[in-house]
Amino acid sequence: MSTATDTMNEQERRPPGIKLTEQQLRARRARSIAIALALGAFVLLIFVVTMVKLGSGALSGDDYMRPVQTTK
Amino acid sequence: MSITLARAEPSIAGVGDYIELMKPRVMSLVVFTALVGLMVAPGHVHPVIGFVALLCITVGAGAAGALNMWYDADIDARMARTAARPIPRGRITPGEAAGFGFTLAAFAVVTLGLLVNVLSAALLAFTIFFYVAVYTAWLKRVTPQNIVIGGAAGALPPMIGWAAATGALALEPVLLFLIIFVWTPPHFWALSLYRSDDYARAGIPMLPVVAGEHETRRQILFYTLVLAPLGVAPWLLGYTGPAYGAAALLLGGILIALALRVRKEREGHRASKQLFGFSILYLFLLFAMLLIDRMPGALFGSFA
Repeated sequence: MSTATDTMNEQERRPPGIKLTEQQLRARRARSIAIALALGAFVLLIFVVTMVKLGSGALSGDDYMRPVQTTK
Repeated sequence: MSITLARAEPSIAGVGDYIELMKPRVMSLVVFTALVGLMVAPGHVHPVIGFVALLCITVGAGAAGALNMWYDADIDARMARTAARPIPRGRITPGEAAGFGFTLAAFAVVTLGLLVNVLSAALLAFTIFFYVAVYTAWLKRVTPQNIVIGGAAGALPPMIGWAAATGALALEPVLLFLIIFVWTPPHFWALSLYRSDDYARAGIPMLPVVAGEHETRRQILFYTLVLAPLGVAPWLLGYTGPAYGAAALLLGGILIALALRVRKEREGHRASKQLFGFSILYLFLLFAMLLIDRMPGALFGSFA
């Protein structure tokens, strides 16, 4: 009897949670991978643009933030 | 007073659902017209900077699409054409779509502003605002002129591309804006002619629903007659060569002929469907010709 009561108490003490289905787990994993890839791509983009701007003389003030000189 | 809180179900949305939320087909036309604006602009743009500009415009367009689907979820569910979108289908909740859209919009605008220039970022922000707040949330549900005024949002990408390349604006990008702006009403009204039941069911005051088919066909012809000369204008004003002018004349002529058939059509919507299909080809070919016309001088410039 005491064992049954202990089990009930144990269940009550356990924090409420959501058990994900297989489909929900798969979808969450796919979304996580996509976010990680997007974040990685963004970091790479910032790195490449930084290199381009430095390479084009950003340190001397001639960067691509300024309008391009028109050739027409 | 007791409040019952609904427990949120864990999402089953996949990556494909989020891509669908960004309206990839609309995005492709936006990217293409922005690319043309970027390429025909004078001066040189570093390929990486040009790529960043196009990426930001693409993401910004996707954000606007997601926010449109978030706000329009109720009417999307009532229309056959849009009932299978991720929110009405229950794949993505409206809150998730809103969060996705606002996050992407902020990222696109801030990145464009920091990495390219402030003018193009301001134009992108205005485009997203105009599409979501002015067209989607306001005009779409209240006036048959929704598509006329709202068309400005879809017409801005070439100006953003130009601004990204030069940091300024000129008459040429305004002309590109006008071409898409005037192209939008006949394009969408041709579609709405054979989808008017759908729009009526959803309570959207599209022109065929409010003013009838006869008036819609008349207005389609009117806008097409304005569009065809506008399409030729870049050549007439000396911005392009004769090859573009010839193509614009030919394409404009076909468009007018189709609009005349729509005007005369009494039964069925064969001519409307043809006009809708050709209008996409018209815009694509016109902008492709602009690109080809400028190719020797418009290739992404030196790496200097």
